[in-house]
Amino acid sequence: MDIKMMFSKERVSFDLKARTKEEAIDELIEMLYKDGKLKDKESFKRAVLKREEEFSTGIGMGIAIPHGKDSSVVEPCITFGVSKNGIDFDSMDGKPAHIFFLISVPEDAADTHLHILSFISRKLMHEDVRQKLFNAKDFEDVINAFN
Amino acid sequence: MIERKVIINNPTGLHARPASLLVKEANKFKSEIMINKGGKDVNAKSILSVLSLGVSNGDEIIIKANGEDEKEAMDAIINLIETLVE
Repeated sequence: MDIKMMFSKERVSFDLKARTKEEAIDELIEMLYKDGKLKDKESFKRAVLKREEEFSTGIGMGIAIPHGKDSSVVEPCITFGVSKNGIDFDSMDGKPAHIFFLISVPEDAADTHLHILSFISRKLMHEDVRQKLFNAKDFEDVINAFN
Repeated sequence: MIERKVIINNPTGLHARPASLLVKEANKFKSEIMINKGGKDVNAKSILSVLSLGVSNGDEIIIKANGEDEKEAMDAIINLIETLVE
């Protein structure tokens, strides 16, 4: 499984307009929906928010990895967004989130989301990767940050 | 330094809330605490490190603790992992 293939230039934003956690999730979901990777926005949003209630995916260091496993998802994908101002995401370190990965996987996708989370976390452990993602200007920059 | 093997039995594995609980617990101790899966050691006090291992149900991991409160730390971490339900 090549995780980088789960990103798409149709699902990146380098200037998220959202100001709240819920708006950020909505904005990411909208990109996913417009790209035809989601059959039902509301159903998927419920899955993501349910996860957030149990445990905020604001993992600190300016990163949030909201994710949802739901039958409304067409295929495993990652939607990427950057907020220059930062958004309060109930993060573990209390700091605003700037870099967002929305992971969406179908109901029957077994451990796929775990592999994606593991891949992203492994890369984000490096400060230079986080910097490159924060400063990314186009899709190529995002992919190159992971190389 | 002490180390112990443990099998992950909760359905989620070590991500989402179980991972955050583990990291919080590890941070209560002064000792250095590492998790090893498949020969790779990572810092149990960092959520990114723990998530990077991709530990799922049925995996065997090794907990290593090194420091003045290593015994208490080990007991607390093992107890937490063994009582994870989700």
